[in-house]
Amino acid sequence: MQKFLFLFIVIATLLIPFSGRADIPDNGQGKVVLSGYVRDQSNGEMLIGVTIFCSELKTGALTNLYGFYSLSLPAGHYKIRYSYVGFNTQEKELQLDKNLTLDINLQPAESRLGEVVIIGKRTDENVRAPEMSLVKMDIKTIRKVPALLGEIDVIKVLQLLPGVQSTSEGSTGFSVRGGSADQNLIILDEATIHNASHMLGFFSVFNNDAIKDVTLYKGDIPAAYGGRLSSLLDVRMKDGNSKKFGITGSVGTVSSKLTLEGPIVKDRTTFLVSARRTYADLFLPFARDKNVRENKLYFYDLNFKVAHVINENNRLYLAGYAGHDTFKNQFATMGFGNQIGSFRWNHLFSKKLFFNFSLIFSKYNYELGTPEGDANSFKWTSAMRDHSARFDFTHYLTEKHTLRYGATVMYHEFFPGTANGLGSQSAVTEFKLPAEYAFEHSLYASDEYKVTSLLTLKYGLRFALFQNVGPGTYYHYDENNNPTDSSTFKKGDYLNTYSSLEPRMAFTYMVNEVSSVKGSYSHTAQFLTLAQNSTAGTPLDIWFPATPNVKPQLCDQVGIGYFHNLKKNMYEVSAEVYYKNFRNVIDFRDHAMLLLNPYLEGELRIGKGYSYGVETMLRKNEGQLTGWICYTYSRSFRIIPGINDGNRYNAPYDKPHAVNFVANYDISKRVTASATWVYATGLPVTFPTGRAIVGNAIIPIYSNRNAYRMPDYHRLDLSVSLKGKDKPGKKWHGEWNLSVYNAYNRHNAWSINFTQDSKDPNITYAEKTYLFAIIPALTYNFKF
Amino acid sequence: MNTKISIFILFLVTLTIASCTEKIDIKLDESYARLVVDGSITTDTMAHAVVLSSTSSYYYNQPAPPVTGAQVSITDGTLTFDLLEDQAGVYHTAPGVYGIPGHTYTLQIKLAAAIGGQTEFAAVSSINPINKLDSVSLLFHPDWARKGIWEVKCYVQEPPTVDFYRFLVSKNQRMITDTLNEWFVTDDKFFNGSYTNGATIAYLQQGSPEEGLRPGDMVTVEVDNISKEYATFLMEAQAELRGSNPLFSGPPANVKGNISNGAVGFFAAYSATRSSALTP
Repeated sequence: MQKFLFLFIVIATLLIPFSGRADIPDNGQGKVVLSGYVRDQSNGEMLIGVTIFCSELKTGALTNLYGFYSLSLPAGHYKIRYSYVGFNTQEKELQLDKNLTLDINLQPAESRLGEVVIIGKRTDENVRAPEMSLVKMDIKTIRKVPALLGEIDVIKVLQLLPGVQSTSEGSTGFSVRGGSADQNLIILDEATIHNASHMLGFFSVFNNDAIKDVTLYKGDIPAAYGGRLSSLLDVRMKDGNSKKFGITGSVGTVSSKLTLEGPIVKDRTTFLVSARRTYADLFLPFARDKNVRENKLYFYDLNFKVAHVINENNRLYLAGYAGHDTFKNQFATMGFGNQIGSFRWNHLFSKKLFFNFSLIFSKYNYELGTPEGDANSFKWTSAMRDHSARFDFTHYLTEKHTLRYGATVMYHEFFPGTANGLGSQSAVTEFKLPAEYAFEHSLYASDEYKVTSLLTLKYGLRFALFQNVGPGTYYHYDENNNPTDSSTFKKGDYLNTYSSLEPRMAFTYMVNEVSSVKGSYSHTAQFLTLAQNSTAGTPLDIWFPATPNVKPQLCDQVGIGYFHNLKKNMYEVSAEVYYKNFRNVIDFRDHAMLLLNPYLEGELRIGKGYSYGVETMLRKNEGQLTGWICYTYSRSFRIIPGINDGNRYNAPYDKPHAVNFVANYDISKRVTASATWVYATGLPVTFPTGRAIVGNAIIPIYSNRNAYRMPDYHRLDLSVSLKGKDKPGKKWHGEWNLSVYNAYNRHNAWSINFTQDSKDPNITYAEKTYLFAIIPALTYNFKF
Repeated sequence: MNTKISIFILFLVTLTIASCTEKIDIKLDESYARLVVDGSITTDTMAHAVVLSSTSSYYYNQPAPPVTGAQVSITDGTLTFDLLEDQAGVYHTAPGVYGIPGHTYTLQIKLAAAIGGQTEFAAVSSINPINKLDSVSLLFHPDWARKGIWEVKCYVQEPPTVDFYRFLVSKNQRMITDTLNEWFVTDDKFFNGSYTNGATIAYLQQGSPEEGLRPGDMVTVEVDNISKEYATFLMEAQAELRGSNPLFSGPPANVKGNISNGAVGFFAAYSATRSSALTP
């Protein structure tokens, strides 16, 4: 821990000179700085990613994660446009002779009151922004999409976008561009979520009432983030309404939600508390069977956030999340959940230097057991914890250069599993896997360079350092992956160090006013892996660190895309091509034992992989009819010695064809109808190509790994929402939502098994399991 | 332990998901034929059997094609037992043969006609010693399942060595666990070196005609100390037979046996001990 502190101080000291220098206003060449915050007029929430554009100079900026923007301009008279999806664009005519702080309040597009000039709702951000392979979802769009059991889920909406696939029917696990589910870094207000699922994956931990902004980076991952190969899912919580106290909530088929938010100190301090709980089990007491009555089956989520403005230059944020799933019946109990917390301090060293400091804690744990009083009674627990600090600087250096640099320090603790006997009668002896500890630090710097008004370059470098530290026990393995002996390390020992240099590069070239070509290259390294052998995964899957036996996984990704807007930005068209090359990619041997196995590393097989694809999308964001249609062609392969005889095989999430169609139609001011249709090639599977009879049972003889495919998947979902009548002075706003999942009742295969006939055991046949037939659901949302 | 986790997990799945199943037509290719061996020698005094058959297409829908006319023998280096084919594909030693703990047995097979391009196959397996089972007991839970469940518990001192066990249950001398997927196979991870003190090794459904017990019924438990390789083979085979789902199952994979030259199946040598309890 002392070394941890030491490093912390070193990095902090290194960074301070930068900040000191930046404090001096750099307006020597007649440049002025226009800066400020952009908020949502209706609730005071800071808006992330608002485009600020100066049409005279064809230059602009975006608000950062905290709603701050800074734009350097030569002194002069300008029209500055502030635009954001779902909000009315504002244009300001400004005479800029000296630095100006200008906070902007944007009005949501529905309301047409006020004195601001309305230019048009759409922006050309998708064409102009120097970012590609990025998916941004505002919560309003997410809310319109029909949902399973009416439970709107951020991750399930992301799965409707090109390059993002669910890992199995109804699952919130997702694969980005052929990568595994554990290659996605999922962060909620900076804190890593290690398992983003509830209820065996059918719901995610994100309660959409507490969420403001969701961004998924599928490639071109910012240099500020790393540690996962395939994507970054950045989820930001609301700060809380700064205008007035409000309550929103919903009563649904599966869960109910309640959110309280409002100002504590006007214009200074806001809070948000949001809770969600499922209540299927509340009906269990009515069951006839006594054992069923005592069952438990629920999950809850609790989000809270406090945001405080100390003064113009200093803001504080305290955010937390806790969620837990509980299952209990007469034979077993199981629980799992995440707890995270983050404290952040935003500081403006100058109008051009934005600094954020974060202290972050994140924990995931589960417990599993049987009731007391039996010889086999046991309790099994597992946990992991992360402690980290981040220093992030955004330096709006000149009108051409925006620098981002910073550092992170992180300490991982892994407690992979302990099983104990439970109660005096238990004969179960303690079984404990050794704890493991590791540091994961990074330094990064990147520059966004506006070469001309047509060409923007982004280049950066991330340096990551991963160190296994004691106390710990590490096993050595022979060439057949059998453990030979072990080494034990004391507390404070450094036993292994990996480092990686990760270049990130991108360009955006405006071909004309409405179209652009973008390209990117990124190198990513991943030091933690999830021991998950199934496609959808379970809460029991544990993360394990890189060690001398397990090298970090590496990925290089190149992508190029064409972006084009039609009819004054009403339609967006895009096409992207990518290629990813994976090294040290991890898969597991046949019949791998991943739980409570001290020799887990002996179950790993390490090789290489690659994936490629084309993603196309047409999106309409304006008018009565909005939505998108996209088609993706993608492939993903692995070549790993020890698996499939070392021959190439289809990666678990290889789905060549995928089509997604999403449409929302505003029938009237009160009624909206929505439809989604998804189609995807079936996941690769291994099927039997022969059989042998041993011990009176039919043992299958299998094909090559993943040589067959599940039947094609397709599904139509529909929903209608009806808002209550809006009367002046009415405080209570209600909305009914009726959704139908799987409207044409397709029995999509969740799994296919081969079984023996119960009458004649010699007869074998294939049987599919499907989870969801047609499922209607009704939800009532309210706000006052 | 793994069985226990799996049972547990299956229970959670059924609890959580109201899933449905239906038959589906899936076209499957046919792989080349392989020899299948299913044989054992134990510490019991009896005629020990080795069954030879060949693999077939998955939808063959008939008993496995027997492999006849082979020469089969088992030897521990000093004694050699020749096996005679008394039914098509079923080869037996003479009665009165028994295996000795600590000895290593080799199975040798010579086929009359080649299967998978091979005519000669061999397998090696050793017998580990076993502690005598002290006793078994029965505990009825009337409120479990529809008509109640019997827990079959066993009492034995587990030795400090790393051991693997198979448990078989019979009712009135008739085997209840008569197929591979009904055998309870476990390691000693949670009980190593301690007294098991009534650890549950089987659950009998009172509602099932085969498993349900009436007062006076005799329940016999056979415990076999099996090799690690055989335990792995059985657990892997059971995992494949249990079926797969996207939550808990890794990719299906072939079950690796101990027969040479690409044959499928297992030749197991093991020690056995038994104890009985009368249904109260």
